[in-house]
Amino acid sequence: MTSWYQRKRTRELALVACFLAPALTIFFLYRLLPLGWNVLLSFQSWSPLKAAAWIGVDHYEEMLLDDDVFWDALTNTLIFIGCSPIAIALALAIALLVNSDLRGAAIYRTIVFLSYPLMTVAVGIIWRWLYDERGGFFNYVLRSSGVIDQPVKFLQSFDWALPCVIAADFWQVLGFYMIILLTGLQSIPQHLYEAARVDGVPASARFWRITLPLLRPSIFLCIVVGILNSFTSFDLVYVMTNGGPGHATELLITYIYKVGFGQSRFDYAAALTVVQFLLLVVLTMLANRLAGGNAGSLER
Amino acid sequence: MNWRRFLMHRFFVVPAAVAVLVAGWNIYIAFNDGGIIEGEVRDRAGAPVPGATVIFFERNFVYYQEKQRTVTDAHGAYRFDGMQVHVGQLEARTADGRQSERRQLRLWFRAQNAEVTPLIVDARRG
Amino acid sequence: MRRAPSWPRHAIMLVVSFLMLVPFYWVVKTSLTGENIYAYPPHIVPVDPHLFHYVDVWYLIPFPRYLLNSVIVTAMAICGNLLFNTAAGYALTKQFPGRRWVVLLFLSCMLIPFQATIIPAYLITSWLGVLNSYLGTALPLLSTIICIFIFKASFEAVPRSLIDAARVDGLSEWRIIVRIMLPLSKSAIATNVILTFIWSWNAFLWPLIVIRTSEMQTLPLGLARFLSVMEDTTGALFAFVVMVLVPGLTIFLMAQKEFIRGLTTGATKG
Repeated sequence: MTSWYQRKRTRELALVACFLAPALTIFFLYRLLPLGWNVLLSFQSWSPLKAAAWIGVDHYEEMLLDDDVFWDALTNTLIFIGCSPIAIALALAIALLVNSDLRGAAIYRTIVFLSYPLMTVAVGIIWRWLYDERGGFFNYVLRSSGVIDQPVKFLQSFDWALPCVIAADFWQVLGFYMIILLTGLQSIPQHLYEAARVDGVPASARFWRITLPLLRPSIFLCIVVGILNSFTSFDLVYVMTNGGPGHATELLITYIYKVGFGQSRFDYAAALTVVQFLLLVVLTMLANRLAGGNAGSLER
Repeated sequence: MNWRRFLMHRFFVVPAAVAVLVAGWNIYIAFNDGGIIEGEVRDRAGAPVPGATVIFFERNFVYYQEKQRTVTDAHGAYRFDGMQVHVGQLEARTADGRQSERRQLRLWFRAQNAEVTPLIVDARRG
Repeated sequence: MRRAPSWPRHAIMLVVSFLMLVPFYWVVKTSLTGENIYAYPPHIVPVDPHLFHYVDVWYLIPFPRYLLNSVIVTAMAICGNLLFNTAAGYALTKQFPGRRWVVLLFLSCMLIPFQATIIPAYLITSWLGVLNSYLGTALPLLSTIICIFIFKASFEAVPRSLIDAARVDGLSEWRIIVRIMLPLSKSAIATNVILTFIWSWNAFLWPLIVIRTSEMQTLPLGLARFLSVMEDTTGALFAFVVMVLVPGLTIFLMAQKEFIRGLTTGATKG
């Protein structure tokens, strides 16, 4: 009896291992191993032609002390991330409007969310055209309403390029935030609102005391996505400005791409990637702390 | 599996509709892709012009260059065969120096059979 | 109880909808117009509209080739995902020593964004010899963690009595999955398919890194290349954009519910 059970158990374990193997291999190969290899590469001098040599923190020294582009890219990335609360607030407003029993709310929801599943390259080209100084929508509106006389070269000005890229990103990601917040709103039990109304609590207090705290997990999720967004906006920047003018719209991820695949300096790019990942971890932990720990949820 | 529900479900209807459209379009193409471009050359009064040379220009990036020429028959009609193009220009010239305008030709697919409205030649140079 | 009037909310939502739809309209208008698109002022309604820009794009660039490449890579990603995620999700429903560690491992992999791995991922793909191939492009996308957990939750909802009855009948494990659990998890399958489709179809950075020749390029790469190589003055580029967006939009509108459900059960990309 025992040996039959042991054999069955072994078979079951073997089966579990088999079933888990493909997924685990993919994640090992493309998540864990690269993360470790990045750290290793960042301390080495590596080229496809000669063997790797350990050079310690030379790359980090170069990055932090000599590399102006790195600091530009870092600043731009932080600005990008810093603007995401604005988008989240806007999305929250829209979600609140859509959540109320408005006729046609489903249509509004679809319209706002329509931009999210689009190819980001296409979104970049659309917005690049919208900002164009000849055929673009914004210049047309501004000039025909008399606000300005000469067309503004949005994507070629040092001041406006980054806000323009951020605006394009807002357009795409607003729908996503709205969906997350909408789901969160719909999971708030209605009886809390009823009780508050019966107690005579005004609407604004209902919002700040009931809605917002119960939305904390959703808001935390949106903030994490906002942080990741500055990394995934490679497509937008590549198509709209390619980091230009100068390095005004250079993000960390575009700089990593240029260094790694443009200049073929894999080791330095690996060091940059490590810094980028650390930034992500630090910011996420900060957001977690600000949301009250435990990813914002109120119960254990 | 409830077959009726499956057939009415959007996951089936939408791809099926797309497949039908694509198949229908390809069938249409198969029947109309002889690459025949034909038309007539008329003068300003509307009479057909026999013996006029009709030149077909094909597009080469930004400019057009001559690809083929043919001569209209006794009824002023011309015909190009086997043209594997989807865009081009047509122009008619007569032996006595009259010329028609450059007519832009745009087709829906490569080698589409097309019948072009008559080219009008007159003395004014195009 | 008196209700707040709904017209201010409608007004605001109409303005928001207008702002969200203007980019679409502007691009479609430009792709249809017959005028010089760089002339100022641009017309709101297309002047002398014609559909021939679309014909031009079809023949000017190898659009069918790009489309085929995108379709093949996406199909591979979807098949791989369905296979691997189902298997992994099922395995996670069983109790085995170290299960907690495996779950923790998956969750921690979720925290590693793809952008933090591109350099070594390129080196690994090159070492595997699948650079510039369909498999190499699809490989990182062959499994996603969110979908594993979606399947796990869906499988755990299947009543144990059904599974036990099947075991008594002598069905093998894989048969149990296919015959019993998958038919009851249709929404999980739909969610997995739509999420994988969207991520694989729109993927740009990874194909940009892996694909080295122009015949293997997928649609996003073709679009970016068109922009840089043939940035012309007609509406052809925008016809290309519209042609590229139409499949994605169609599939999204068809499978909206599943897509939203997949996003809200996990949200960050696996």
